[in-house]
Amino acid sequence: MKKIVYAVLATVSGLVLLFSYRTSHIDAIQPVAADTASTSSSSSGSSGSSGSTGSETDNGTQTGSGAQTDASSSDSSDPASGATDSDAGAGSSTGLSDGTYTGSSANTRFGPVQVQITVSGGQITDVQVPEYPSGNPRDRQINQRALPVLVAETTAAQSSDIDMVSGATYTSQGYLQSLQSAIDQARA
Amino acid sequence: MRRPPRHVEVADIMGTAISVHVIGDVDSHVFAAATAALFDELRLVDRVFSPYRDDSDLLRVARGELAMVDASPWVAEVAQACAQAESDTGGLFTATWAGVFDPTGYVKGWAAERTARAHLAPLLECPGVIAAGINAGGDLQLFTAPGADWTWNVAIVDPFDRTRMLATVPVRDGAVATSGSAERGAHIIDPRSGRAATGAASATVVSASLAHADVWATAAVVAGFDDLGWIGRAGPTTGLIVDDAGRVRRWLDGVEVGVDPVDQAARRIFSIDLPRASSSTSLSR
Repeated sequence: MKKIVYAVLATVSGLVLLFSYRTSHIDAIQPVAADTASTSSSSSGSSGSSGSTGSETDNGTQTGSGAQTDASSSDSSDPASGATDSDAGAGSSTGLSDGTYTGSSANTRFGPVQVQITVSGGQITDVQVPEYPSGNPRDRQINQRALPVLVAETTAAQSSDIDMVSGATYTSQGYLQSLQSAIDQARA
Repeated sequence: MRRPPRHVEVADIMGTAISVHVIGDVDSHVFAAATAALFDELRLVDRVFSPYRDDSDLLRVARGELAMVDASPWVAEVAQACAQAESDTGGLFTATWAGVFDPTGYVKGWAAERTARAHLAPLLECPGVIAAGINAGGDLQLFTAPGADWTWNVAIVDPFDRTRMLATVPVRDGAVATSGSAERGAHIIDPRSGRAATGAASATVVSASLAHADVWATAAVVAGFDDLGWIGRAGPTTGLIVDDAGRVRRWLDGVEVGVDPVDQAARRIFSIDLPRASSSTSLSR
C-alpha cells in the first residue's frame, strides 16, 4: 500500500516535495554538537536576529512585542547543551551524531516543559516531551494529549504515513490538487 | 505494518470537498447508506444557511420574510451557538457583521461535526469497523472504536505551500480545524477592526469538537501570532500557529510548549537527513 502512495505522489510533481519539506530552505549543514549560538542564529535565517536581545528562554506567557516572542531568536540557549552522547556517530555521512538531545526547559504555569529528540543512525527517531510536572491528575491529563510535531522534527518515513490532512478551507477545485485528494485516491 | 482497508466517498457540498472515511471492514451497503445520509443532511444544511441561495432560511429571515420560529430550528441553534462563541472568545469570533447575522464561518464545522456524529460514529458499532471520520474542506472530526489499534495520523498543511505539510498530530477521537488565508484569499476578518486579520498565516486547533476547534482556530488567527493569551480560555486544546515568516508556536491545554531550541537543532539535522533534498537549493520565506 505504501508503494501505491508513493506512486501517486510521484505523479503529482509538487507533492514529491512534501518529503523534502524544510530541507530546501534550510541550508545549514552543521553537526548539532558543533553549533554555537552565533551560527545558529545566522543559519536559521530570517526571523529572529534583530529581536534577540538575549532574553533567557522565553516561555511565551509574556507575549510582548514583536519578534522577541519568537523563541528561535532566543539565542541564549545552546541547542545542544543537553546532549548526552554526542560523539558516537560523529563519522556518519550525515554529520549527525547519535544520541539524545534535550532542549532548554521553558517555564510554564504548570512547571518546566522540555523536549528531547533521539538520533540513531543519523536519523531523528524519536521526539519526546519528557519533562512535565507530575503528581496531580490535571498534569497527567496534559501529558496524554498529543503535541503537533513539526515535520522537521520527525524522520522522513513518518511523512508518508498520513491518514488525514487539515488545512485552511479549500474550494472544490482546490481539493483536486490537495494532499487529501492524493491520499483519498491512493487508499480508496 | 498496519494498513487496514479504507473506504472513501467524496462530495462537493457548500463550495468545498467533503470526504467521508471509514477504516476497516464495512458492509458496502451500510457504508453507502451512511455516506448518502450524511451528504443529504449536509445539503439540507446548505439549503438552510447558504448566503448564496435566495430561498435559504437564513436570507429569508434576514429579509424579514420568515420568522425565526418558522425557520428551521437549526437557525436558532446556530445563532445561539455563535453568540456563545463570541462571548467565549471575547469577540475574537463573531457571526454578526454590521448588524447582519452571517454564520457562514461557523456552519461548516458545526454541520460536519453534527452529521459525522449522527451518521459515522454509529458505524463503529459494526464489527470490523476500526475508525470513521469526515474531512470538510480541511476540517476534521474523527472517531476510533474503543480498544482498536488505530490512531489517525493527521497532517497539518504548510500555509505557504499547500502541497507540503508542516506538522503531524496523532488523534484517536477528536477534531482538527485549521484557519488561515486560504486559496480564496485572506478571508478572516478581525471583528475588532473590520479588516482582514494579519500576522498569522494559519492556526490549527485540536479539540474534542469540530465546532469548538473551528471557532478557536478562527479566533487564533484574529488574535495573531503574538497573542496566545486566549489559549487558557479555550478549554483543553492542542494546536499550533504559524506567522507570516513561517515561525511556529505550539501549545497544550492552555500552556505554550517552548521547544524552539530543539526545533532549531532538529531543522538543521533534518536538512542533512533527506537524500532527496539538494542542499544547494535555497528557498526563502
